[in-house]
Amino acid sequence: MLALRDLQAAFAAQLGGEDRPDLAEAVVGDSITAAARLRVHRHHVAESLATALAATYSTVQAIVGEDFFRIMARELAAADLPRQPVLAEYGEAFPAFVAGYGPAASLPYLADMARLDWALNLAFHAPWHSRLSVSDLADLPPEGLLASRVSLAAGSTLVRSAYPIDRIWHASRPGTATGRVSLDEGGVAVIVLRRADDAAFATLSPAEAAFVEALDDGKTLEEGAQAAFATEPAFDLSTSVARLLALQAFAALQQDC
Amino acid sequence: MDPVAGIGLRSPHLAEIARDRPATGFLEIHAENYLAHSPALGTVELLRRDYEFSVHAVGLSLGSVDGLDDAHLDRVAALVDRLQPTLVSEHLSWSVAGGRYFNDLLPLPYTEEALQVVARNVDRLQDRLGRQVLVENPSCYLAFAYSTLCEPEFLAELARRTGCGLLLDANNIVVTAHNLRLDPGAWLRDLPASAIGEYHLAGHAVNDADGEPILIDDHGSRVGEGVWTLFERIVRRYGPRPTLVEWDTDLPPLDVLLDESSRAARSLRSETKADARAA
Repeated sequence: MLALRDLQAAFAAQLGGEDRPDLAEAVVGDSITAAARLRVHRHHVAESLATALAATYSTVQAIVGEDFFRIMARELAAADLPRQPVLAEYGEAFPAFVAGYGPAASLPYLADMARLDWALNLAFHAPWHSRLSVSDLADLPPEGLLASRVSLAAGSTLVRSAYPIDRIWHASRPGTATGRVSLDEGGVAVIVLRRADDAAFATLSPAEAAFVEALDDGKTLEEGAQAAFATEPAFDLSTSVARLLALQAFAALQQDC
Repeated sequence: MDPVAGIGLRSPHLAEIARDRPATGFLEIHAENYLAHSPALGTVELLRRDYEFSVHAVGLSLGSVDGLDDAHLDRVAALVDRLQPTLVSEHLSWSVAGGRYFNDLLPLPYTEEALQVVARNVDRLQDRLGRQVLVENPSCYLAFAYSTLCEPEFLAELARRTGCGLLLDANNIVVTAHNLRLDPGAWLRDLPASAIGEYHLAGHAVNDADGEPILIDDHGSRVGEGVWTLFERIVRRYGPRPTLVEWDTDLPPLDVLLDESSRAARSLRSETKADARAA
């Protein structure tokens, strides 16, 4: 008889793909053998985690198809089981796994689509706090405005890619007429956002991306603007700030003590 | 809660339920789907004003020899505090070992050692939540050779030691009885009626294992006739209780789910009337 601790360790190893005769011996077999009974659990663990990954990585699945996706997802699940039971928080390792996944090598943008899916998933599950508004900024004296630092709202993330991930995302939505997206269109930066009822992203110009990146690094609005001008001399600070405020990309100002 | 029939609340139905507010006895959510601050949590909080709720946890792992995970327990407690549900439940199973979560309701040997582990974890859960929880009989695909108790004995003793309630899942009894060659009628003997706080109903699939049929608790179809028959037997024996129809895979239109819960409600009502006549 196995102590419960040893039984659970053996069961865990069996679920991870090991052959555990000590466990099979502890299980009652009849016309359905102990091994077949244990396989029910191994199968369920792999399939249910693949289903959870499909929910989080819906764009990746739309691109590669369900059969291909499930093979890939089961492989990740076998190598990287969840560390906690909230499945919406499972799968952070998937984009890196996709990047190194040989059978998907002909789709060089696939890992970036996985990064976008993960960022959208994080945004969807981020708390909804109050956002920075135009009037918050209007209350600041002009010199204070340029010296202030603003934070991205919870769930807001900048995702950069060498591929047109925004257009690929739209082209892979269900019901979208198959549009052709040329990878020659080049890279893009998007900001992912938690909105009141869902998560979404907006494409940024290179200067806007430099601006957001600087602010996210803790730089002041002035330093952010300098980064943006360095990227694109025609950068229009007030138009871009107005756009980002309308997107509700920033958290409300923290009152400094 | 009155012995009404309710439905499992699943995210594809959330917007429709929020818009139409269909009549149903109560809504049951899986705790682990509402621990992050998604817009869905906001919708559930709005629905809570109009519906009785049950919070059904699937990841606390009451059978883990390592004990309950503090962080997860805190999150479930915060959700329960927020929603103030009428019922809270978990399974007689384990799903965590060595810090890894298997997303499955894994079987326990029914021994005194396992009873002590589960009782300790149930005590801790009930202390943390400050309320009684119901523990559900799982679907079993295998049994351990050195179990010394049968499942109902284990559950009855767990309820006696911890004061927990029991959630009887009629579909799980049918699945377990078929797979482990037990008599579902015999399974029903000797449960403490006063501990039973809820019933579950669901559909199951029939798969092939070594060329033999094995029943899989997939919650992917209407409740089978054999499960309805057993449910009616349970209600006659132990009395009406809040009853939930669960559906998780191949989710049908909401009307189908409501139709199944109406059938459960009729069974509960006919037994309530029979009770009244007997009295």
